[in-house]
Amino acid sequence: MKKTVLICGFLILVLLCGNLVAATSALPGGVLRWMAYNTRSTRVTYLAHLAEELPDIHMQYDHVPVDHFTVTLSVQLLSGKGPDLIEGGGETRLLASMDRLLDLTDEPFLGQYRYAGLAPFSVDGRVYAVPLQSWFEGIYYNKAIFAEHGLAPPATFDEWIELHKKLREAGVKPQTMGAQSWASLMKQSIGIVNNEFYARPENAGFDAAFDRGEAKLAEAWLPAVTLWSRMIDEGCLTPDMLDYSDEQALMEFASGEAAMWESGPWSIGEILRINPHIQLGMFPFPTVEGSTGWLVGGPGSALSINVDSPNMEAALRVLEATATQEAQLALIADNMGEPYLEGMQVDFGPVYAGCADAFALEQVYAPWTAAWTFGNPIVEAYGKALQEVLAGSKTVEEALAEADAVNAHMRAALEAIE
Amino acid sequence: MLLMALPAFIGFMTFFITPAVMSFGYSVTNWSVYRPEPSYVGLKNFQTLFSDAQALAAIEHSIRYALIMTVVQNTLAIFLAVLLNKKLMMANVLKTIFFLPAVLSILVVGYLFKFIMTSAPSGMLNSAIGAFGGAPVNWLGDPNLALYSVLATQVWQWTGWAMVIYIANLKSIDASLYEAARIDGAGPMQVFGRVTLPLLYPATSFNVLMSLIGGLKMFDAVYAMTRGGPGYASETIMTTMISTGFKAGRNAYACAFAVVFFVVVFTMSKAVTFVLNKWEAAIT
Repeated sequence: MKKTVLICGFLILVLLCGNLVAATSALPGGVLRWMAYNTRSTRVTYLAHLAEELPDIHMQYDHVPVDHFTVTLSVQLLSGKGPDLIEGGGETRLLASMDRLLDLTDEPFLGQYRYAGLAPFSVDGRVYAVPLQSWFEGIYYNKAIFAEHGLAPPATFDEWIELHKKLREAGVKPQTMGAQSWASLMKQSIGIVNNEFYARPENAGFDAAFDRGEAKLAEAWLPAVTLWSRMIDEGCLTPDMLDYSDEQALMEFASGEAAMWESGPWSIGEILRINPHIQLGMFPFPTVEGSTGWLVGGPGSALSINVDSPNMEAALRVLEATATQEAQLALIADNMGEPYLEGMQVDFGPVYAGCADAFALEQVYAPWTAAWTFGNPIVEAYGKALQEVLAGSKTVEEALAEADAVNAHMRAALEAIE
Repeated sequence: MLLMALPAFIGFMTFFITPAVMSFGYSVTNWSVYRPEPSYVGLKNFQTLFSDAQALAAIEHSIRYALIMTVVQNTLAIFLAVLLNKKLMMANVLKTIFFLPAVLSILVVGYLFKFIMTSAPSGMLNSAIGAFGGAPVNWLGDPNLALYSVLATQVWQWTGWAMVIYIANLKSIDASLYEAARIDGAGPMQVFGRVTLPLLYPATSFNVLMSLIGGLKMFDAVYAMTRGGPGYASETIMTTMISTGFKAGRNAYACAFAVVFFVVVFTMSKAVTFVLNKWEAAIT
């Protein structure tokens, strides 16, 4: 009997301690918990700037890998233990639809931003996040290899395919790709979709219709993705790339074993670390007609506030402090990207000179982050299906239909809470 | 005495039985991270699951993987055990070598073989094939090969472990039975078929069940080597369940997957146990 009492007492003590810890772990006022899918290393200068500007606010920066970010964040928010500040991206519309984010529409600092940066984080005309900076992805190329074989960046899609052939004939691997990750194929195909579909004014309303479940990728995108699939048919992308990781592809490109690789500014540090003497350039995805090509990208991560945050005022002060040129320059110091602050432009440097026209024309777009509520699961299904297209076991039409099916599934999941 | 088992019982109930029962309950709801208050939807999740080609492919991959793993691993392990149970000069060294992979983490083995099997120029396996004049093979990027490439690494890792159990069983077989068989004129194959194999029943029943269940719940090696790809070619029940639950947030659907997984494991284990019991009855 005594033992039973002892064991029960011990269990009650454990439970009480658990509650005590939970109760005392609530953050005191002025201390902000920040959850982000970007690593702290990409925010060091910016966080130091905030610490200087807001010395009374202590911030705790929690990095959650992007694969688990949406679910981890949603679970924390629903259980009432969510972070005060959320540095997310594609899930902003979803969380806003679930009434989990603070409506920022009437905050004065929103006036500092261009509409292009706010639109992806708006639902029914209300704004729920402010953009930190843009991201973009194009085709890196090794200028020395191109020069050695008398080649120039392609002006058209056909020239791009020809370029692959010429490099192959010269004994150079034209393009490498870490296609073990579904994201690489997905982004490259959407680069061509940007050129041949989104560039046309008549398709401006497509994403909104798709998001409402009223339009399908399998119909609208089919011609553009079929065009891109020539990259596979012509041997520019090969099935052996399906077991290449991004790291292997980066290594192959950086060491000069491949002439082209699709990526963005976040890779440049590692490329230069491996090969400090590499002569780098980047060009946008070439169009059929030869007009200025598009890049894949858009507003990257954005800051939003948990609607249940006990530190709302401090969180708003962080957003206010972010809407300044100094804060934006601090962001750029760790990660190259275009700021969305009115009147602020940055020089991306000589590596990205080939993309200057695309930047000037604002031809940078990624529909899944810019406009789709369920962007991440849809592009994952699409990217995995494209791996099967590269392997030869699926058609482009089937791949697009799979993405449509995920959109339908996820919409069904959301409909009940709307 | 019963009180001594109470802490373990509480732990078992809290961390195993209760979540398992809750999974069954949630599988008939529409619970997701987007819908925190679940409501009853009957068998809708199961209908969706059985009409989802990728989910069915993942179940099929798991079953195929587990069956092949069980047959190949146990056949090789019995062969090695019988061979190394003889009085060979290097027997103990060889036993150690064959057992060594089992002490490594599955993830470590997965990443190691990913490096060995890559079709990049640094791939050791393709370099070896090339040295003998063969053409490179896309071990992990070919949808028809990827699952078998993962399987091969797991056979390599666990055959030695199964072999040790078979050897322990072989040591317990009375030598006089072999002597009697030889006096009766039995050849080596007859001795193996009529004496060794039937008396290996205890080790076989354990190893077969372990490799079957281990194969069905395969996750880590697939995650390390192919991430379920290319496409969905090497997705298993566990990789799909984890991706559905923890990445897409479709919790109830993932619970339905868990229920199907339970049924698959239970049915296959029962079928194997039934066959093994029949075998036991025949030899006793």
